[in-house]
Amino acid sequence: MSNGQPGKYFLRGRVGFLLLTLVYVVLIAVCLFSLIHDGDLSIGRNPWANLLKTASEFSYPSFLDVWFGDTALEYRSDDGRVLRVENRREVELDYLAGLARATWTTITIATLGSLLGALLALPLAILTARNLSAPKPLAWMAKGVLDVMRSIHTLVFGLVLVGIVGLGPTAGILAIGLHSLGTYGKLFAESIETLDMQAVHAVQSVGAGPIQVFFNAIWPAVLPQFVSSHLYIWEFNIRDSTILGMIGAGGLGLLITEATSLFQWGRLATVLLVVIVLVTSFDALSRRIRRSLT
Amino acid sequence: MSSMTPIAIELQDVLWSVHGRTVLEIGALKVNSGERIALVGPNGAGKSTLLRLLAGAIAPTHGSLSVLERSPSRSLGGRERRVWRREVGQVFQGLHLVSRLSALDNVRIGALGRLSGWRTWLRLYPHEITKQACEALQGVGLLGHKDTRADLLSGGERQKVAIARLLLQQPRLILADEPTAALDPAAAAEVCRMLVQAASGATLLTVVHNTSLLPLIADRVIGLRQGRVAFDLPVSDVDDRALLALYQADCSRPSDQFQVTLPARSETLTQETT
Repeated sequence: MSNGQPGKYFLRGRVGFLLLTLVYVVLIAVCLFSLIHDGDLSIGRNPWANLLKTASEFSYPSFLDVWFGDTALEYRSDDGRVLRVENRREVELDYLAGLARATWTTITIATLGSLLGALLALPLAILTARNLSAPKPLAWMAKGVLDVMRSIHTLVFGLVLVGIVGLGPTAGILAIGLHSLGTYGKLFAESIETLDMQAVHAVQSVGAGPIQVFFNAIWPAVLPQFVSSHLYIWEFNIRDSTILGMIGAGGLGLLITEATSLFQWGRLATVLLVVIVLVTSFDALSRRIRRSLT
Repeated sequence: MSSMTPIAIELQDVLWSVHGRTVLEIGALKVNSGERIALVGPNGAGKSTLLRLLAGAIAPTHGSLSVLERSPSRSLGGRERRVWRREVGQVFQGLHLVSRLSALDNVRIGALGRLSGWRTWLRLYPHEITKQACEALQGVGLLGHKDTRADLLSGGERQKVAIARLLLQQPRLILADEPTAALDPAAAAEVCRMLVQAASGATLLTVVHNTSLLPLIADRVIGLRQGRVAFDLPVSDVDDRALLALYQADCSRPSDQFQVTLPARSETLTQETT
């Protein structure tokens, strides 16, 4: 018995895996072929020169000009006339001030958007949690809302909302809130589903009312998990909100679009450095808090 | 006993069956107020089913059932049910404490049945309740652990906290389902003594597996076998022979099943290897 059965399973599993691998290889081949067939698989006319140029500009982030920049950079016309004299240090200092404002806007968007998403998700999570057995039609509706919200990207929400509420951080906050509400709802519902029902029954058995049961048995059990999920998605949203500005929803994204469309790779490097510092420091902070929550 | 003694529990022709299989069938059973009853019997004898019926977790298929002058069915209205639940204290075999709350908070939960208002939502209790809870914890020897989170207590300590919670609940009837199941012998005896102390005056019905604990926890022993009452005796009349008969009588049936399944397994074995 112990000899025959697992062998058969292994054989079946191996054939299955080979088939799966074959399907995957075929898919890759078809993808490559269709790209080549359409002539879309190209890397431009002189990629190496472009790469070198971009990389060299990237290696000198614009903020260094605050200390090392030319104090009197002269812009001349073709015949040698001086059009304008510019103090690079002052210009870049102004740019950094703008960058700081944009960074703050990004943090604001992520923070308020996350809170909005969490608050909107809470009732939906309670409706979808299987162990709380809410009325079936309501549960399906709530689950539908969560699935739809989760599958629509923040940027899509942002584009639509910019059209509705206009340019600026409000659209960003709403976009972050609406998209992350789907993820929040799913995580919250999962925390509720891992609830210790025995403790709930024990509190019910002393004659406590439903609200007392909620605050004495359910709330203390799910609160730490809620806080943990909240921090996790907040962390995600910090990342998401750095590009929201690209579509005019406020924050760092606007500076990214500006720098890329003007081919100012030095400035892009500065912005990206801020993004990296912001995201990694928030990640580390959130991870530390989440670890201490158990 | 005089006829004036109020009856805590009364069962009349109670039958409970699931998927057509009769799990529990009791002709007549009466428990007077203040009695201490132990339920004994092998696994599957219906002890926990009886306790669940009495606690109102399930309703009898047939028959009438009265616990503290009420029928503990789901038909009880919300408020009425709350009041009834307050009177019926339950001790469970598992870990039925709120694990993230302190021992003190878990004990104070016992008072929720007679408290109301928004303060109890925030776990703000009247000073009187906190005093009672500290006294209850002192009674079970855990006052030093009052701020310890429940999930950091040992199994015995948790059961003691559950008993302290019972002291705050002040029920008229206590249903205890194997309260010593996960405890070592010394802790089991201690928990039993505390349970009896906490019951003082209330009716106490305990499911017991360790028969050496019977004299500690009961003055009347009801033996259940295959869903029926096998014996109902004062604890002084329960001897090893009665208990042995109770536990052995049921052992014959599962072993029959084993003898059917074993050859079937060896058959498949020979088929596979050839």
